[in-house]
Amino acid sequence: MTAVHPSSAPPEALARDLTGADSHRTAGPSGDGKEKGAGRKRKDRGRLSVEWVTLELMRVAYASRGGFLSRRDPRAVIIWYVICAIAPWLTYDLTVLTTLFALAAVAALSARIGPLLLGLFVVGLITQGIYVLVLVLLLGGDVGALTGLLQTSLKLGTVSLVSMAAFVSLDPEKLSDGFQALRVPAVVGFGVSYGYRMVPLLVTEFQTIVDGHRLRGAPPRGHGFLGWRTFARLGSIAVQSFYPLMLNTARRTRTTVEGLETRGFGTATAATRSLRLAHLRFTAVDAALLVGTVVLIVASYWFGALVP
Amino acid sequence: MNRETTPAIEVSDLRFRYPGSPVESLRGVDLRIERGDFVAVVGGNGSGKTTLCKSFNGLIPHFWNGDISGTVRCNGRSTAHRTVGEIARDVGYVFQDFGNQIVRPTPRDDISFGPLNFGCEDWRERTEAVLNDLDIAHIADAQTWQLSGGQQHLTALAGVLALAPDIIVVDEPAAEVDPLRAAVVYDHLARLNERGITIIVIEHHAELVAKYAKTVVLMSEGQVSWCLPVAEALSRTADLEAADIPAPQVVAAARALVPDVARGIRSAPLTVEECAEAVREALGPARDTAAASLRLDTAAAGTDRSACTPASASFAGSETDRAEPVRGAVAVADDACRTVAEVRGITVGYQTISGARSTVIDDLDLRLHADERVALVGSNGAGKSTLLSTLAGMRLPRDGSVIIDGQETSRLSPSELAGTVCYLVQRPDQMFLQDSISADVGMFPRSRGLPDAAEITAEVLDRVGLSQVGDRDGRLLSGGQQRRATLAIGLAMRPTLLLLDEPTSSLDLRSRDDVIDMLDALAEHILCSVVATHDMHLVAEWSDRVIVLDHGRIIADTDPIGLFSDRELLDRARLVPPQVTQLGQQLGLDPLPLSLPDLITRTTHAEEVVR
Repeated sequence: MTAVHPSSAPPEALARDLTGADSHRTAGPSGDGKEKGAGRKRKDRGRLSVEWVTLELMRVAYASRGGFLSRRDPRAVIIWYVICAIAPWLTYDLTVLTTLFALAAVAALSARIGPLLLGLFVVGLITQGIYVLVLVLLLGGDVGALTGLLQTSLKLGTVSLVSMAAFVSLDPEKLSDGFQALRVPAVVGFGVSYGYRMVPLLVTEFQTIVDGHRLRGAPPRGHGFLGWRTFARLGSIAVQSFYPLMLNTARRTRTTVEGLETRGFGTATAATRSLRLAHLRFTAVDAALLVGTVVLIVASYWFGALVP
Repeated sequence: MNRETTPAIEVSDLRFRYPGSPVESLRGVDLRIERGDFVAVVGGNGSGKTTLCKSFNGLIPHFWNGDISGTVRCNGRSTAHRTVGEIARDVGYVFQDFGNQIVRPTPRDDISFGPLNFGCEDWRERTEAVLNDLDIAHIADAQTWQLSGGQQHLTALAGVLALAPDIIVVDEPAAEVDPLRAAVVYDHLARLNERGITIIVIEHHAELVAKYAKTVVLMSEGQVSWCLPVAEALSRTADLEAADIPAPQVVAAARALVPDVARGIRSAPLTVEECAEAVREALGPARDTAAASLRLDTAAAGTDRSACTPASASFAGSETDRAEPVRGAVAVADDACRTVAEVRGITVGYQTISGARSTVIDDLDLRLHADERVALVGSNGAGKSTLLSTLAGMRLPRDGSVIIDGQETSRLSPSELAGTVCYLVQRPDQMFLQDSISADVGMFPRSRGLPDAAEITAEVLDRVGLSQVGDRDGRLLSGGQQRRATLAIGLAMRPTLLLLDEPTSSLDLRSRDDVIDMLDALAEHILCSVVATHDMHLVAEWSDRVIVLDHGRIIADTDPIGLFSDRELLDRARLVPPQVTQLGQQLGLDPLPLSLPDLITRTTHAEEVVR
């Protein structure tokens, strides 16, 4: 054995050095049981792994779940979004806001936003509620303050829900076509679709770099109080991974920019726009969607006036 | 001017210096490329190949504003006063890192990107035509990030073809895909060439140049050394060697074995068949008996490879010599057969975007022993990388278990396993986490609080020959240096089991040979190494056990000779043996030769025996 590593100490000794008290090589499986973490078995987790989060984001980005908005013309979806996002800011009435929030929630669910976004939204809503409550109790505010904060929360919540519903239903192509059809500069539409193309690559690359840090960096020394050590370690890895990620990305982008140049991106003309958008059809159903939405919003205002 | 007689590309006295660079990258280039030619531009790193090719489509000087003089004409029109976009309809360019050239989410959309930008009314027809032409219609609506390297390469080529240029430049088609996929791209290029499209490739692989090119341009220090028809060009082995392009093995073998070729009387053979013919003629009728006596010879010489090697076939010549020190070092019998890793019935899969689970590795059993050099081969998607990451404990099997050095990987965290198993990923830049090579190499020993971390770092850097550049960022090194740097990172971790993913991909041949030599030298420091690779030279010259994967199962567990002798297995795994092995087969050598010296000593030695 030592002959295999002629230049240094025998591997057993090395292993002890490397892992300190946590040596896994000297003790057998039974002896490991006492040592922190060693007896616990890791599992191939289906959900809540980085892999699942990545996939879930992809499903969201590429509108692969379907839903009532995904079949609509992108222009209709964007206009629908603008209407819904403006509506809650025109009132302070709690009844109207609650109704709008409920409608937005129904829209988000029927647009099939998926468990990840929904989960994040609910967690966000609950933690926000808790901290508002704590603030009010600590600072000795009255119920009036609570109402004010509730209004803002409902407005922001409504906007978040309709945003999710709209963007989950648009794949990158529809989104950039929609932007172009509404005469947003071509660069914006391209940026959006290029972003969608790059995100999966960046996520994989980031994961590889983070793995490198986990393997080669200092091993965790336990979780610490409330797991602060784990959080601190993850935080520092995330920050340190940023530098290699950015440098590697910068190198890739150089080719992309040259490629864009050679494929005439800079020379895109009005003809390009009309050719690209020729397939868009704004149908009666799209119009009905927008009219229906406006009617529902007006109805909620009317309902708010009836029930204060 | 008559279009038929106008050269496709005409460069006269072109000089170019990149902004901020002290030296000129191109120093007075004169070149004429005829219409309908298939040109291979060869030359060492930094000889100005890519710079020259980027001047054909106007990226130089319109995109890279450096100091320029001289003229470049495409189809008779100067590039100086046209935009890159205009020239793009004459000259298409497929970049070396072609994946970054694809800018839209699906191939269909990416291919129509160019025609749409130029306002072509028939963009839909063009896209469909190109998709069918390159046989990629079945992936037209896949997400580009899910495509394999070969598919991405075809997509990039299709995006260029959709603009119907009559000149196409492809920068290193074989750099990032396996040899058979590279051949697919080359076959398409050859077909396009027959239709009259001028093809220009930048290429390191003399074998591909020999097979496909009609004309070879050698670049050296920013100038064109010569521009010759392919057979003549490949006979100039000294020039090619100087430019870090070793001659194809058939040419080298012919020069060593056929006196007429060595003296330059006869032109060098370009294919294995031609070479076998020439060698047979040169050796005369005595060859058959020679080969027969040789068979006995080597069977006696290469007997006992370590007994735990599953296929204990005989190993010839240099193979036995090289293995000697290792065998000497491990004298203790039970140590030699020690199991380093054991894989018991593992099934590994990924979640797919539709929510279903794919199975990449299917009920696989494997034992790795001390002193083995294992090559893991198989086509793209066979599960090589997945098996490596499962062995490294980064990924856990759904069923079954992986036991490394007596410990189940599922009971240890990846960072605890890191001192035992080291996994070097395919792209070196993903391993450079710090701002200098020495910091990267020292990262593991320092983080584990080893007292002699500094010494380890210095020693390892010295061993891979990178002491001089230790303070530089890994990303700024050349391809070969980057690979050596990642090897150094692995060495500093002092693993029992070293796993490498494609350590020789996208390297020029000289750097590739460097890496193979280095792997050889490292054998004494690491108990067992596993290399996933498409590179059959690496398999032939380095490994002593070959595991062939196909659709997540092991379809063969053999040695290089066993692999290369099995026609059916090679076809199934989409592998092509090195030329020297094919040549040995044609000459009826048994066992097959794995390296050029091996072939030469055995053929000439056999001749002496007969005399």
